[in-house]
Amino acid sequence: MQKDHIRNFSIIAHIDHGKSTLADRLIEMTGTLSKREMEEQILDSMELEKERGITIKDQAVQSIYRARNGEDYMLNFIDTPGHVDFNYEVSRALAACEGALLVIDASQGIEAQTLANTYLAIDNNLEIIPVINKIDLPSADPDKVRKEIEDVIGIDASEAVLCSAKTGEGVDDILEAIVERIPAPDCDDSKPLKALVFDSKFDSYKGVILYLRVYDGTIRKGMKIEMMATGATYEVTEVGVFKPAPVNVDVLSAGEVGFLAAAIKTVGEARVGDTVTDAVHPADEPLPGYRKATPMVFCGLYPVENTDYDNLRDALEKLQLNDASLLFEPETSTALGFGFRCGFLGLLHMDIIKERLEREYKLDLITTAPNVVYQIDKTNGDIELVDNPSAFPEPNVIATVSEPYVTATIIVPKDYVGSVMELSQEKRGEYQNMTYLDEDRVMIHYSLPLSEIIYDYFDRLKSCSRGYASLDYELSGYKPSDLVKVDILLNGDQVDALSAIVHRENAQVQGRKLVERLRSLIPRQQFAIPVQAAIGNKVIAREDVAALRKDVLAKCYGGDITRKRKLLEKQKAGKKRMKQVGTVELPQEAFMAILSMDKKK
Amino acid sequence: MERWEVFQGVYVHTPFCLQKCLYCDFPSYSGFPEEVRQQYVEALCREIEIRSRQRDLPVAEGATVYFGGGTPTVLSEEQIGQIVGCLKRNGFWKKPAEATIEANPGTVNPEKLKTLRELGFDRISIGVQSLQDKELRALGRIHTAEQALRAVEEAKQAGFQRINADLMSGIPCQTVESFCNTLDAMLRMNLSHLSVYSLILEEGTPLERLVEKGNVSLPDEETSYSMYEMTRSRLEQAGLKRYEISNYAVPGEESLHNKVYWHYEPYAAFGVGACTFTGNERRTNTIDVREYINAWSAVIVALQSKESATFEKNISAAGSDCTLWETETLDRKTQISEAMIMALRMTEGVDLNIMQRRFGADISKYYEREIQMLLDKKMAEREAGVLRLTPYGMRYGNRAFEAFV
Repeated sequence: MQKDHIRNFSIIAHIDHGKSTLADRLIEMTGTLSKREMEEQILDSMELEKERGITIKDQAVQSIYRARNGEDYMLNFIDTPGHVDFNYEVSRALAACEGALLVIDASQGIEAQTLANTYLAIDNNLEIIPVINKIDLPSADPDKVRKEIEDVIGIDASEAVLCSAKTGEGVDDILEAIVERIPAPDCDDSKPLKALVFDSKFDSYKGVILYLRVYDGTIRKGMKIEMMATGATYEVTEVGVFKPAPVNVDVLSAGEVGFLAAAIKTVGEARVGDTVTDAVHPADEPLPGYRKATPMVFCGLYPVENTDYDNLRDALEKLQLNDASLLFEPETSTALGFGFRCGFLGLLHMDIIKERLEREYKLDLITTAPNVVYQIDKTNGDIELVDNPSAFPEPNVIATVSEPYVTATIIVPKDYVGSVMELSQEKRGEYQNMTYLDEDRVMIHYSLPLSEIIYDYFDRLKSCSRGYASLDYELSGYKPSDLVKVDILLNGDQVDALSAIVHRENAQVQGRKLVERLRSLIPRQQFAIPVQAAIGNKVIAREDVAALRKDVLAKCYGGDITRKRKLLEKQKAGKKRMKQVGTVELPQEAFMAILSMDKKK
Repeated sequence: MERWEVFQGVYVHTPFCLQKCLYCDFPSYSGFPEEVRQQYVEALCREIEIRSRQRDLPVAEGATVYFGGGTPTVLSEEQIGQIVGCLKRNGFWKKPAEATIEANPGTVNPEKLKTLRELGFDRISIGVQSLQDKELRALGRIHTAEQALRAVEEAKQAGFQRINADLMSGIPCQTVESFCNTLDAMLRMNLSHLSVYSLILEEGTPLERLVEKGNVSLPDEETSYSMYEMTRSRLEQAGLKRYEISNYAVPGEESLHNKVYWHYEPYAAFGVGACTFTGNERRTNTIDVREYINAWSAVIVALQSKESATFEKNISAAGSDCTLWETETLDRKTQISEAMIMALRMTEGVDLNIMQRRFGADISKYYEREIQMLLDKKMAEREAGVLRLTPYGMRYGNRAFEAFV
């Protein structure tokens, strides 16, 4: 294909604004797949992704489109994950394109996540085509959305394409707009190879599959390549494109999007953002923007059964083959035994990994509450990074503690501004500014500690705005905070896995809430259990889980053995996720108590 | 033959009551007219007769008999006699080591009790529940305390030497004191057996709804627990030894029939909702009275038509059409676990040697972890091949049983 007939684009959209439907529609209309094949080969392939309605791993689909001018164009659609946890992946996927469709629901308007990704696209110099979707809905108001795009994002929306991915109306106009408005790649086959890795996937037969955008040069089977960040070299065993099923090709030329396999053993060797070059004639410098994705959120993962420790390690190793941003290292908890401290890009990433471990590897896990990484400047001048509350140093060796802050963007109808501000204030937020998007909707910026976001900020934001608020955030750096460690004692014994880091001013209140919550979460046992919160040696709150006085079925005769047995089985199954900590049995929820402290009992 | 290879007990269910108690979730109904009761007795006799030919286990010579309900004594003397005669003719009533009938105060009189003795019942179990009228009303019982005591007295007069009374703790508005008075009054009757149950709030019962709506409140946990502990201390002081979680008897006077259940031995059962246990299977009859009557009538029609080759085929064909019973097949694992949880209800505990003989498994190995856990927590003790729950273990019995399911 001639370079000027290649179009590389991606789609930016908020969850539920119709990205998947539109993508399906585009692929269908270019004739790449029939409708029936579509159903079998949808872009979101992982079971979890389908359930959560989000894309976790990128995909790139190539299709050939015959435009109204009668000429064939190669359209490469690069799908992006739609969640703040995967911001870096999104930025690399966008960097692989020359244009993006900005899809906005005609009745909902712009949401915080869309905004963040649009700015990413603008940063990457992408041509943005506004697409106003769902115009078939009675509540659709395209003019209002058009104005919002112009006011908020500051791009010309007069030529926004109106469409309904559901009915197919306007989809052909989108295809034409892609051809007409998105520039062809500016590239050169004859220059030394430069290709951007925008995603990777582990395949147990072929090794790591790299998803690439070739900028300059060409890639062929058998050639030697070098990863510019790591310096590792490999021999290419396979080159191909996705249609969306993988199809091998002889060569991937400059401007094109596709994949390669080169017997790479782990995704860590060829990370997203790295540049692939020719090992024999390397490029002078790599493509810009590479960085190693750093985990922001940590938690402890422990098997319920200690004998599952090795299985958990094997499972984590397997997941890591495919997920370079997952970190784990062994740790020991006096309460929970042997397990792993794991690092994730964010909460969603954490949930996904947890669910995969449980579903795909059939492991019963106890997860400790997530926490951020604290930076501690010690009195002796050392700097320590702490990713586990129980490892928080003694107060006397601490000079200052800093914690990660984010800049949060909240978009909310104006009626809820008061409650959003109240919540953000309570969560130690610092107000930055507020702008009206239109007469109804407001965009508010707050600087917030990341730890508050990973506790329950998002849930509470949703509930205090009746689900209307949307949130996006990006890390803004570390700031000093007056933080202390609150320990929890059960039956007089400290349970390390329950320690929490909180702000000193809130410590008293938080400690009390935490023991109250624990009291309601810990099932009553054969003896009373004092639950205490302490800072250092000072107990700041106490609640008792009363003893269960008796627990026995009074009657069991010939007729009801089956029913009584099933009752016992059910009771036992309910305890499967309990972890024996000393003499006390703790349910999984107890370790997450800090996340649900403000829930009604 | 080993005890577990033979029916050791025979149960007959009567699903009728004058009035259903508020806490009851048994298959029992009030308001059926006499003609339905008569049809039921006929159907019951058909079941006994037909199943006597189909039965897969022999009946032990001394197999115990138990007439339960519902209220068996709402049936007339003739009807009860009809059933007893049918059991005898069909080999389910040979020389029973014990023949018990349940009775409700308010449904018996001296003549009826005498007839029951003459029919061969040597044990009677009377549903007293409480000796406080206020509490009896709260349970929806049809009788007063005075009537209950009179029924016990009349049973003695009729010649019953083995009498049980059922009592209940944890009744709405019951206090430790009122419960104590009930126990004392009951003990003055000098019975050889008492069953004392903590009230269980069963799903779907009117009492559950009343409690949910807040119209009725149950004694708090601390109070029920005091009652539970008091039961044991009072009764044992009076010479009634606890032999099962809720059962007390003068040594030697334990209910043999109920011990068949707790020893997990086979029993045949007839009537609505009745549950037969062969060792490998549990067959539970339909709980619908009319369905039961229609179904067993249909079986007779099928049998009379003699179209099919064998009797058994006919029964199973007709049976499956009418869903006479539901069969649960018990694998060995389930059998072992049920045998454990039933036997551990008794203070005598579970004889691990018998378990090994019966199931061919070394139970102390099979349940090594579970047993050790109970021993460590002092919930159980082991002595000469017998594992039994301690009083503390019984108090938290569900946690002990849970280990074995």
